[in-house]
Amino acid sequence: MLTLLSLEFRKLFGARSVRLALLVTLLLPLLWAFAPRLDQLFAPGQAVALVSGWQLPFISIFTSIQFLLPLFIAVMAAEMIGAEVAHGTLAPLLLRPVDRTRVILSKLIVAITYPFVLLLVTLLGSLIAGLPLGYGNFQGGTGLGAGGLVGVGTLTSEAALGEVLRGTLLAGVSLMPIAALALLFGILYLNTAAAALATFATLIVMRLFVVLPQAIQPVLLTNYFQLFLPSNQDTLGKDVILLLIYTVGFGLLSIFAFDRRDV
Amino acid sequence: MQVTKQGAPAVPAIEVRGLYKTYGSSAVLEDVHLTVKPGEVYALTGPNGAGKTTLIRTMTGLAFPSDGEVRLLGRDVHTDGQRARAYLGAVVEAPAKFYPQFTGTQNLQIHANLSAMAPGGRRINRDRIREVLALLELTRMADRRVGEYSLGQRQRLGVASAMLAEPKVLILDEPTSGLDPLGIGLIHRIVTSLATSGCAVVLSTHHLREIATYAHTVGILTGGRLVDTVDLRARQAAYRFRVDDPVGAAAVLERLPFVRRVSTRTPYAIAHLGGESRVPDALSHLHNEGIRVFEASPDHFDLYEYYRERVEQA
Repeated sequence: MLTLLSLEFRKLFGARSVRLALLVTLLLPLLWAFAPRLDQLFAPGQAVALVSGWQLPFISIFTSIQFLLPLFIAVMAAEMIGAEVAHGTLAPLLLRPVDRTRVILSKLIVAITYPFVLLLVTLLGSLIAGLPLGYGNFQGGTGLGAGGLVGVGTLTSEAALGEVLRGTLLAGVSLMPIAALALLFGILYLNTAAAALATFATLIVMRLFVVLPQAIQPVLLTNYFQLFLPSNQDTLGKDVILLLIYTVGFGLLSIFAFDRRDV
Repeated sequence: MQVTKQGAPAVPAIEVRGLYKTYGSSAVLEDVHLTVKPGEVYALTGPNGAGKTTLIRTMTGLAFPSDGEVRLLGRDVHTDGQRARAYLGAVVEAPAKFYPQFTGTQNLQIHANLSAMAPGGRRINRDRIREVLALLELTRMADRRVGEYSLGQRQRLGVASAMLAEPKVLILDEPTSGLDPLGIGLIHRIVTSLATSGCAVVLSTHHLREIATYAHTVGILTGGRLVDTVDLRARQAAYRFRVDDPVGAAAVLERLPFVRRVSTRTPYAIAHLGGESRVPDALSHLHNEGIRVFEASPDHFDLYEYYRERVEQA
């Protein structure tokens, strides 16, 4: 299994789409540090004043989690199968005495790790971008804890670090099902573009389903993209479990679909 | 039936039984049966679209049959794939495909690591990787990225990868595609050598005259059906003698006890001698009877002509 995982990680970081995604997620936070109309993204008409470098991770994650990160994740996970089929490298892999379940499991593990990789790079970029603002104690909030960016008084740097790491982790959890879903579509279509498109179309349709009755809302993946926000902490445990069920469910469907798939 | 020294029936290296493959309502393979013994070179041929690639993909476990089964060394490749492929070396695409961002050595290392995942699989060391690269004349390219390889070099790297884990079953789809004449000769030598050491080889090809020189059996696939299986060994025991009197020579040869069948094809007398060792004996008798012999050589079965007739009839 370690052999397969190591191979998948090597392929992951060798992929051009992944390198591009890592570059974008690293550099994009620099934009927020120098954006004079930042308030347009959050509260038009109300000034968003950044007072600490600890606030930039929230802004970076909040702005990228709606479209950019799901897009990067969908393309990468779809590519894990689609690119191998297109390059003809999946067949030689399966000609070896390797269990198909392990092949997909290793891909699934790498796919659901990828959101965390992107978010860690986003965090790194944000921390670099926040250097001019400093990382000491400050009056306000990180955006990822109580009181949002306004905060509830003085926040120590240790507490701010804790909030940032927790928020990053929760954002990663909310993106895991997308990776698993894109991998499933990859297996069904054996084509990167079709699988990425299907994933993104699914997410867009889910967004449109906000018009449906409230009873439907808890099952919509897109409603969990803001899991990291302090306003969503009441149902956190239940939400995380649901996201894990989605991830495992899509993963099991992927294994089942691949087990007797002609390659 | 082949029998082992212990007296137990030998397990065929490859056994395909009643194989069907359909895509929707379209049948690609219909009731295909074939058996390949250890040490046998089985060439699969047929017109484009006959189902060769589908058959090879199904035999290697990449595709699943609609009905029937494929066994490699006695294990079902579709239900016990990991064990069945433990001794399989295969190239199913021409040219063979590798990760272009990695070097030839790195790609082979990946395959070596994956081969070691077989139940009870042993590790393949770097010496073996260097050995197969040298055998396929790729040492110079070993540390270059595969993206820089020519088609022929990729194809040779594919064969290197297939023989890396010392397979007992080798399945190659168009192994000489894209190779120059020296490369083709190299692959022939390697395939023959592997077969001599007991490896069962199945290869698909369109190069009939080329394959006729070293394959033992040829399967002709057309319209998804294996319409004929030709045992070339039985047909290649014939020798032809270019003589001044073919009819007289045929009469002389017919009287020899080891000659099974005689015919003439002016200026040749053709005799089935049962083996190359009988040629000097036959020459001696012809000489003693006053027949002048200008040339003696194996009378290769014209597989191309046979194939053409067979496909036209099918």
